[in-house]
Amino acid sequence: MMSGEAWLYLLAVLINAVNLFLQVFFTIMYSDLEWYVSFNFYGLKKDLENPTFVPVRRRFLDYINPIDLCNRLNTYIIPEAAVHGVLTFLFLINGYWIALLLNLPLLAFNVKKIVDNAHLLDATEIFRKLNVHKKESFIKLGFHLVMFFFYLYSMIVALIRDESH
Amino acid sequence: MAAPQDQYGQGYPAPDPYAQQSPSQPGFGTSSPPPPGGQPEEVGGKKKKRGYAAQAYDFGAGANSALGGQQQGGGQFQQPGGPPAPAYAGGYAAPQENAYGGAQYGAPAAVPAVGAPGVPYGAEQPQYGGGVGYQPPAAGYPGPGAPAQTYGMDPAAGGVAGITQGMGQMGVGGQPPAQAQQAAGRPAVLNQLYPTDLLNQPFNVAELDLPPPPIILPPNSSVTPSPDANCPPKYVRSTLNAVPTTHSLLKKSKLPFALVIQPYTSLHDVDDPVPIVQDQVISRCRRCRSYINPYVTFLDHGHRWRCNMCNLTNDVPQAFDWDAAAQKSVDRWQRPELNHAVVEFVAPQEYMVRPPQPLVYLFLFDVSYASVSCGLLATSARTILDSLNRIPNADRRTRVGFMAVDSSLHYFAVPKDTDENGETNMLVVSDLDEPFLPIPQELLVPLSESRLSVEKFLTSLPAMFQANQNGGSCMGSALRAGHKLISPLGGKIVVITATLPNVGYGKLEMREDKKLLGTSKESGLLQTGNSFYKSFAVECSKNQVSIDMFLFSSQYQDVASLSNLPRYTGGQTYFYPGWNAGRSEDAIKFATEFSDYLSAEIGLEAVLRVRATTGLRMSTFYGNFFNRSSDLCAFPAFPRDQSYVVEVAIDESLTKNFVCMQTAVLHTTSNGERRIRVMTLSLPTTTNLADVYASADQCAITTFFSHKAVERALSGGLEPAREALQSKLIELLQTFKKELAGGNMGSGGLQFPANLRGLPVLFLGLIKNVGLRKSAQIPSDLRSAALCQLSTLPMPLMMQYIYPRLYSLHDMPDNAGIPDPETSQIVLPPPHNLSSERLVPYGLYLIDDGQTQFLWVGRDAVPQLLADVFDVADRTKLKVGKSSLPELDNDFNERVRAVIAKSRDYRSRGVGSIIVPHLYIIREDGDPSLKLWAQTLLVEDRADQGMSFQQFMGTLREKVVQ
Repeated sequence: MMSGEAWLYLLAVLINAVNLFLQVFFTIMYSDLEWYVSFNFYGLKKDLENPTFVPVRRRFLDYINPIDLCNRLNTYIIPEAAVHGVLTFLFLINGYWIALLLNLPLLAFNVKKIVDNAHLLDATEIFRKLNVHKKESFIKLGFHLVMFFFYLYSMIVALIRDESH
Repeated sequence: MAAPQDQYGQGYPAPDPYAQQSPSQPGFGTSSPPPPGGQPEEVGGKKKKRGYAAQAYDFGAGANSALGGQQQGGGQFQQPGGPPAPAYAGGYAAPQENAYGGAQYGAPAAVPAVGAPGVPYGAEQPQYGGGVGYQPPAAGYPGPGAPAQTYGMDPAAGGVAGITQGMGQMGVGGQPPAQAQQAAGRPAVLNQLYPTDLLNQPFNVAELDLPPPPIILPPNSSVTPSPDANCPPKYVRSTLNAVPTTHSLLKKSKLPFALVIQPYTSLHDVDDPVPIVQDQVISRCRRCRSYINPYVTFLDHGHRWRCNMCNLTNDVPQAFDWDAAAQKSVDRWQRPELNHAVVEFVAPQEYMVRPPQPLVYLFLFDVSYASVSCGLLATSARTILDSLNRIPNADRRTRVGFMAVDSSLHYFAVPKDTDENGETNMLVVSDLDEPFLPIPQELLVPLSESRLSVEKFLTSLPAMFQANQNGGSCMGSALRAGHKLISPLGGKIVVITATLPNVGYGKLEMREDKKLLGTSKESGLLQTGNSFYKSFAVECSKNQVSIDMFLFSSQYQDVASLSNLPRYTGGQTYFYPGWNAGRSEDAIKFATEFSDYLSAEIGLEAVLRVRATTGLRMSTFYGNFFNRSSDLCAFPAFPRDQSYVVEVAIDESLTKNFVCMQTAVLHTTSNGERRIRVMTLSLPTTTNLADVYASADQCAITTFFSHKAVERALSGGLEPAREALQSKLIELLQTFKKELAGGNMGSGGLQFPANLRGLPVLFLGLIKNVGLRKSAQIPSDLRSAALCQLSTLPMPLMMQYIYPRLYSLHDMPDNAGIPDPETSQIVLPPPHNLSSERLVPYGLYLIDDGQTQFLWVGRDAVPQLLADVFDVADRTKLKVGKSSLPELDNDFNERVRAVIAKSRDYRSRGVGSIIVPHLYIIREDGDPSLKLWAQTLLVEDRADQGMSFQQFMGTLREKVVQ
């Protein structure tokens, strides 16, 4: 029979996996826009000015414009922060101080962004801030990856402890 | 170009005629007297002068005539009783500025000009000073004019020969083609670096008018020998006219690499014709999509061409040498796209996603109490009525629509003229949440078909709302409704409002708090108050709707939020604080500007893209548009009075001798033709840091940093923006000192290349501009409006906005204010540096920043001057404030008016603009607030929280020399 601790860590692993996926998705979207940048240097893109030329890969992908990209990504930003917030809250009420401490910096970062009303992507600024967003996404990705293994480890430790009892 | 350093030494000190530090420099003496041709007049002037009282002379040679070295004071030269004539030979330093220009940039044309301008100045003084007698009341004004005589006398004999010789050499040596031909491959000699000392050789404002350092391309780089093969600076200017080959060299130089692009230089095509390729044969590179241009190379007996951007070989289209209309072959070398760097292609079908849209104007009138009571509604309706003929309508497809807005929406269904008993119907909708279109068809009517009804409607419009007491404005909802109305076609929404939107969508609040001004919280007021204004702007851009804002409120109107709509849709914000139609000046200003605005031949559905030689990448774009992708700027409507800045990154090392950057603007003209305007700029590359500095363009650099500063001010706040500017300048000075001046500063001076000498004063002007100035007095609306200007103005106007023009009128030279016999353009007096030291108490000055003109009347102005110019007998009777000059029948009045009119003439400066500056008359002892306002334009002075130029230079020196 699993203890509450193991359950919690299992939940954490799952939630973390979701966040991890989201960050991967974000990074891919940013890179896609960026890929567009580098590739576009050769003008290989469908638009008004280049009526006939469509690069091969693009033919099978949607035309990503910054407005759609921002709208699409913006729908995930609040849920992502909320899920992470809930997890941290669970650590708090259950008194897992180490896990809480590890999560607090990201929580503070997210809260600050939302309070400053700077959490949503702005289509008018996206190209200037692409690098910043990408960096942020990468850092979050790394953080979640580390946390994933931490939760996994904690869960296994908890399970082993259950067994031994 | 033998010993350029020496030549420079001779020619250079000219702008600094009184510099005590270098009184014995040969160059000075040589450049000061007029050339032999001018001498007889000079002598004549002397004789004439002797006839006048010393006072008269003093007046002429007074503070204003001393351009250069007044700061140094004339202490050691105080010779009040001295013979007048020689003194004034040096009194006007302006001609010597030309000498400097010629020497420095080696423009051959400037050489003969060295002495020539001196002649008219020479002849001028006695007439005005003595004849009419605007003497200063203070007798025996020793003035800094006196020192000049020292110089004036000595060169008389040998000087002339000296100058001819010196200048002759310069002319030959500095001539770019001559140099270029000697060089093989990479041009061996680019522009020469002329380090100058910023502290000892003060900057003169006339240097700002010099052309940028010439672009010296290797010989035969263009395929035709056309003189127009490279893009003229009025369309595209690069901050660096010699491009570093590697990213590390660019980084080392600390200079920015950016293009300042102004695709249109006038409001109407007539004023600025560009060669047009009519035959729809558009040859483009298959890979990089560049357009064929004068820098491609032809291979295989002219059957193929190699792209100068990416080196791919392309086939020359069959029709390239064939004139389909005349059915005969044409000479390829005559084709405009191979001869001109700026051409316009008529685009075929493939360049359209839909048939070219008609020009659409949807007017949103504010009919709330504030707007009706200040006469805005009546004036704007009247102006539109009067300007109906000026709205471009060559294809008879132009459509107009009208909506009125208070706390509800009013639609107007205008019937066709053919409709016998058609009446314009007003439909009122009070549902603001989901505004619907009652009858979509008749709300947007073709102007040609409904002309009479439109006229009738506009005549009756003011009366309809005459008694409106409604104080609300649901402008946000109105914009949504208007967007819905015109989005199938696209077009312009013209918002004319005097009220803060306070109902419905995009509701804004009075958020300005006087206590916040001047604090770090102020930047919050410059940011958008409601996200609606950003998201809606993006939506508009998507549907090819452009929005222009005409804002009139006398109270807080949140320009910061409202200006987002034009910013992302290729529009413009026009701000008229405290406007009232009761003042005729206000009414005339708005009516003239609005009428010009309606007459402008704007482009529609436009995109702008810049392509460049492999290795270069356009990294950041600044201006009013929306970035649809990382390198594509989208403009629902393309204005003709704005410029754009594009920062260029060097991704790979450049191996070629020269690089090309091609700007293409695909647009629909206002008469329904799809066209592509292509501008190809070619620049030499260099591996040498000195070349980079010697070819840097101070005006373009300032424009770039002005855009940067605006961005910084909006995101990070004003203080960081100002600090960034100052630290950038310090960084540049340090880099120059370390890398090029050998780290040794001699007597602790501040060295900088001659072509960048204006940078400190321009940066100071920028830091002290209304948009960025440190002050707790500037309402945030004014600031926001100024920031809009700083990020859109075309370069010549931007320079004037940052560093306004000061003309001295009471002692203007004889040829100023009258048409030049050769060009029939009015001649302006020489501009002065913006320092109150230049203002004498008995003077009359014009200070002009392009947005406002101030006519400054000194506190001791003589009655005769007032009578001649203003038709008042006494200074106290002079009406201060917004005003205009009376038209009097005397020579001086006519000339003053001519100078004022010329100073606001944009066309001659190669810019399109609708702005008609207000003229304010300022009495030095009059209304202190007005006086203070005018004084804020004197950027070299100390202001309440701003440094004077001397202090500024002192700070820079401390930071650099330490």
